[in-house]
Amino acid sequence: MKTSIARVARHTGRRITQPSATTIRHQTTSSSPLPPPHQTTTSPLPPPPAQPSSSSTLPPPPSAAQPSLPLPSGPSSPSVNPSEISHFNALASTWWDPHGSSRALHLMNPHRHDFIRSCLSSTSTPPPSTLRYLDVGCGGGIFAESAARLPTASSVTAIDPSSTILSIAKAHAARDPSLIGTGKLEYRNATIESLDKSEEGKFDVVTCFEVVEHVDDPAAFLDHCGRFVKPGGWLVLSTIARTWMSWFTTNLVAEDILGIVPKGTHDWRKYINEEEMRKHFSKRREWDSPRVMGVVYVPGVGWKEVPGSEKVGNYFFAVRKKPE
Amino acid sequence: MESLIIRRRATQWLCSRNSCRIKQRMLRAYSNATSKPDIYDVVCVGGGPAGLSLLTALRSSAATSNLRVALVEAQDLSKTKSFNLPPTQYSNRCSSLTASSCQFLHEIGAWDHLQQDRMTRYQDMRVWDGVSGASIEFEYERTHGVQNAGGQGMACMVENLNLTSGLLKRLEELGGVSTFDKSKVESISFGEETEDGADLREWPVVHLAGGKQLHARLLVGADGANSPVRSFAGINASGWDYNRHGVVATLQLEQTGYDTFTPGDPYEAPKVAYQRFLPTGPVAMLPMPGNYSTLVWSTTPQNAALLKSLSPKDFIAMVNAAFRLSTVDLGYLHTQTSNQAEEISWRLQHTPVDAHAVPAPVIGVQENSVASFPLKFRHADTYIAERVALVGDAAHTVHPLAGQGLNMGQGDVQSLAKTIQFAVEHGLDIGATMSLEAYNAERYAANHVLMGVCDKLHKLYSVGSGPLVPLRSLGLNLVNSLSPLKGFLMERAAGNGKVF
Ligand SMILES: Cc1cc2nc3c(=O)[nH]c(=O)nc-3n(C[C@H](O)[C@H](O)[C@H](O)COP(=O)(O)OP(=O)(O)OC[C@H]3O[C@@H](n4cnc5c(N)ncnc54)[C@H](O)[C@@H]3O)c2cc1C
Repeated sequence: MKTSIARVARHTGRRITQPSATTIRHQTTSSSPLPPPHQTTTSPLPPPPAQPSSSSTLPPPPSAAQPSLPLPSGPSSPSVNPSEISHFNALASTWWDPHGSSRALHLMNPHRHDFIRSCLSSTSTPPPSTLRYLDVGCGGGIFAESAARLPTASSVTAIDPSSTILSIAKAHAARDPSLIGTGKLEYRNATIESLDKSEEGKFDVVTCFEVVEHVDDPAAFLDHCGRFVKPGGWLVLSTIARTWMSWFTTNLVAEDILGIVPKGTHDWRKYINEEEMRKHFSKRREWDSPRVMGVVYVPGVGWKEVPGSEKVGNYFFAVRKKPE
Repeated sequence: MESLIIRRRATQWLCSRNSCRIKQRMLRAYSNATSKPDIYDVVCVGGGPAGLSLLTALRSSAATSNLRVALVEAQDLSKTKSFNLPPTQYSNRCSSLTASSCQFLHEIGAWDHLQQDRMTRYQDMRVWDGVSGASIEFEYERTHGVQNAGGQGMACMVENLNLTSGLLKRLEELGGVSTFDKSKVESISFGEETEDGADLREWPVVHLAGGKQLHARLLVGADGANSPVRSFAGINASGWDYNRHGVVATLQLEQTGYDTFTPGDPYEAPKVAYQRFLPTGPVAMLPMPGNYSTLVWSTTPQNAALLKSLSPKDFIAMVNAAFRLSTVDLGYLHTQTSNQAEEISWRLQHTPVDAHAVPAPVIGVQENSVASFPLKFRHADTYIAERVALVGDAAHTVHPLAGQGLNMGQGDVQSLAKTIQFAVEHGLDIGATMSLEAYNAERYAANHVLMGVCDKLHKLYSVGSGPLVPLRSLGLNLVNSLSPLKGFLMERAAGNGKVF
């Protein structure tokens, strides 16, 4: 098991967005419409736009604050950001507290399964009766545990660069004898780049939930994840669109004003819009059947699917690797 | 503020934990430490109407049928299952099932296992105030014409044993339940870390008399009003005693021709349920098949003791009087230790009674069927805790005047089974508080409102004189003349509405 430098960034605390507002496009690099590799910093980045001078005068949508320089990432870590990892390590202890900072993620989890199910049932050929899952950036294991409990899962490999969070995940899984006895669920301290090449093309479902907004080079990261998808299988992710509204709700309101999400959880500049995601995959011939589902957090109720909300806030996205 | 909340939860936890630790230490001395824990997904304590319906619901749904489930019940369930009485005898514990309870029993495949000829539907409900005489008549069929799954009619009278016996038969058909009956829960503790690395320190372990131990991913307390599961979870139940007893009995009525009985077809007769509010509490007569009826008379413990001590002849006379004579007469009759029959027949000659407005005269009472139960109001502070859920009377005990107790339990079970199914389908741990939240949210508020209404009705009608009496009769008369409101109340009685 590797315990080296952490690489892929991590799950987050809650993020709350609401539909409305407009989507802002920004400059992209030539290889991918996704944001360029990001500068590694030692401390969480401040919110991109200037702080509003008062609550009534809000800053313009902060697209202008996008870093325009496509800075190269560290040589061996296309996606890793050490500051992101230390941030999530600090949150680790509350991961499984139903009233802690990960509550919104817990509430999100059933929607992940519903979305995956909708992907699997959308094809003309029925999906395999049992599925191999790879969960990238598994964090405390909210999704990985739940996937491993499904009778349709033959195995779940869950990876995360933070050994601190993985120890939380493992300790929590030990509380369920159905998870430890069967060997269905395997946690590995790894990044997607460090996974063995022999496992490429071996997974029916590769998931990365609430991860891409924390990685430094999302395009490279997604390409890496995609290699592990079996032909005919799915790459499934969830993230937040980079809009004025998502900046307002996740960075300003959730982190700065209400403090319900730990400060420094989000770097708005790393958010990726749904059409950028689509474009990224449409340029790569092995993928088709993109699917999207927008969800909105309703305080006191939880997450609700709201068609169209993918344009402004949290959304699920999936693409299918063309069958051979 | 957050730290405060955490601290409060921690102390609560420690309390229940400390006492359990002591028990655990004591038990460990007897248990075989190396034996592999016997692990269940659901351990249901209590094989009453609530517990049996829950297990039936879980076993009959494809998504939850893979769960490993156990039932623990102190009583002998084979006796319950073989419940069988001649058509001239009825158990004294009967309940009125609402249409939604009937529908649920259909859905889980239990309905057809109930003895159909021992149940009866009723369409009308006549309720009046014993002091002022104000009345309200509910005619469900005529106002709504609603067809229920269980047939027509607003509600269905069933013996509790017919229900539990039917549920047990359905469970036998479904199979797959590890049943530990004639086994009392001796204690409940927490598990330990096992040799193969499982951490069961937050898993409830149910210890049965005889040494058997069951580990529960989800421990369901369907164990009635004095729920040991609720105590284990450290959940407080607050409420009060009404200082009232419910006197029950199986009665035989004179065939008047008004309630036309069709032998062999209990659903044909236009049956009526009667309830009269007396200052001591409501007295109700609910129809059973043929010319049988079941009595639920809530009254003071002294009156209850008197009624139970009477000869059949005097008891019958008292029941007839309860629906006919003035409250002053009734008060006097309760001061007499015997010979009520003569006194009543004389007084009835001088009391004008509309024979169509009261139940047919009682002519017989079944031997040994007169019994009484203390009435309580209890509501648990919450229905869930980590790896614990409460259903039925373990969660709430209500005054029987609206006939809601058992039905609230069926509503709980339906909701909990749905919540468990959702958790299974989404890979959630069915014992985690997070997975159970939906159940608590759905049922707590609904039950609370209904319980409040039953309680307030009891209090409102327990007053013999004073300003409340004209006010409440005005209330009943008003309700009677406002059909939309009446319809609303009827819907509630039939269990169609979600929240009162
Ligand atoms: C006089 C009266 C009239 C009523 N009329 C109506 C009516 O018309 N309509 C209506 O809906 N409701 C009515 N009710 C209420 C109804 O009877 C109850 O709500 C219902 O029986 C509760 O079902 P339950 O399964 O929750 O609990 P219970 O029926 O109390 O079952 C609990 C079970 O748990 C078992 N148990 C308890 N402790 C242990 C232990 N330590 N170990 C093992 N097993 C244990 C018991 O043996 C029992 O079988 C009435 C109640 C009364 C008192």
